[in-house]
Amino acid sequence: MYIAPVKLLTACVVSLLAISSWALTFADYPARSAKDCAVVSRALGVTIGVEAVESADAQEAYFHMEFAKKGFLPVFIVIENTAADSVIFDKTKMSYGAAGSLASTPPTAPRAPAMFVVSAIPIVGMAASIDIIPKASEIRENVLRKEIRSTTLSPGASARGFLYVPIPKKGGRGNIILHIPITRAGTDNTFDVNLVI
Amino acid sequence: MHGASPLRFLLLVSLAVFGMAAAIAAAQSSTSPAPELLLRATLVQSQEFCAARMPRGGRVEVGKLACVDFEPALRQVFPQLTVVTAVPKESDAQLILVPTFLDLAATTGVTAFSDRKLDVYLQWTAKDASGKTVWVETVQGSASHRAGTLFSYNKNFKLMVSDAVEDLASQSAAKMLASPELRSLSK
Repeated sequence: MYIAPVKLLTACVVSLLAISSWALTFADYPARSAKDCAVVSRALGVTIGVEAVESADAQEAYFHMEFAKKGFLPVFIVIENTAADSVIFDKTKMSYGAAGSLASTPPTAPRAPAMFVVSAIPIVGMAASIDIIPKASEIRENVLRKEIRSTTLSPGASARGFLYVPIPKKGGRGNIILHIPITRAGTDNTFDVNLVI
Repeated sequence: MHGASPLRFLLLVSLAVFGMAAAIAAAQSSTSPAPELLLRATLVQSQEFCAARMPRGGRVEVGKLACVDFEPALRQVFPQLTVVTAVPKESDAQLILVPTFLDLAATTGVTAFSDRKLDVYLQWTAKDASGKTVWVETVQGSASHRAGTLFSYNKNFKLMVSDAVEDLASQSAAKMLASPELRSLSK
């Protein structure tokens, strides 16, 4: 079958224009307050709520990717400051570990024991390490855009977003403990909030 | 309102609208933050920061550009700004500002005429004279450009990076100005 070069060129241009106009759309995760999350903890006027987004359908809707295959679990987190002073959430100080390492410690312990500190793995940079195929740059942009970021919360302010916590690719996951340090701005007063998911 | 003529009614409504607009303008001018923070601030631009290249984009010399753009942008916020290459052990600064690059995301254009987008994320940590952290914030700088042809691709990419870092600088200055924590230090 002979196709005239002009027709072939036109078909190519039209196809390229069609591809270029196609863009992925990502649903926003429903906005909710910390108390409406699956796991909630309150300490010194700060309320933190977390919930794991485990369903493959939900991950597809919000991220267009299946995190379990990459060895990650997206966890939605909300931090609300109802205290009279500003508090600092510094994501670079956050860590996670197997919940067993804190077996005798309640989730809102003021400071985790040394055993936990040893097993804790920093959570910063996890989004960057998720192996997303290079061409799926919109997916990567969305993953980063939805990630929770370090911030200072003035009285009455809140922050929300996702953490991407590493999990085994196969065999299911055990309980994971998130270790979230909160510091009162301008002080050395840091208290830790530990949440099990 | 039998006695009120339509003209008088229209005049009253116009006066009310004009009064409300004036009140809103006055309120906005009284609540808008002061243009600068009167603090002796030190900006730490370490060699490592200035040499930063972002992961997944080895060509993206964000640090080099930031070390040119940040000082003039922050000087708009802190007129008494000094720039150093390491966190000073002793200093008369009231505020020490330390920037750290976090991540970068760039979309790829499908054709030469598609737009590409670049987001650069940076974290600021501000410490007071006693070394206590008073403010931490993440700032996102964004830019978008045509992907470009074989001949203009590199030029467009460099422009996009430069614009994103410029945006990062102005977003940083805006966040610092709007921070109640930094503002309370300057009182």
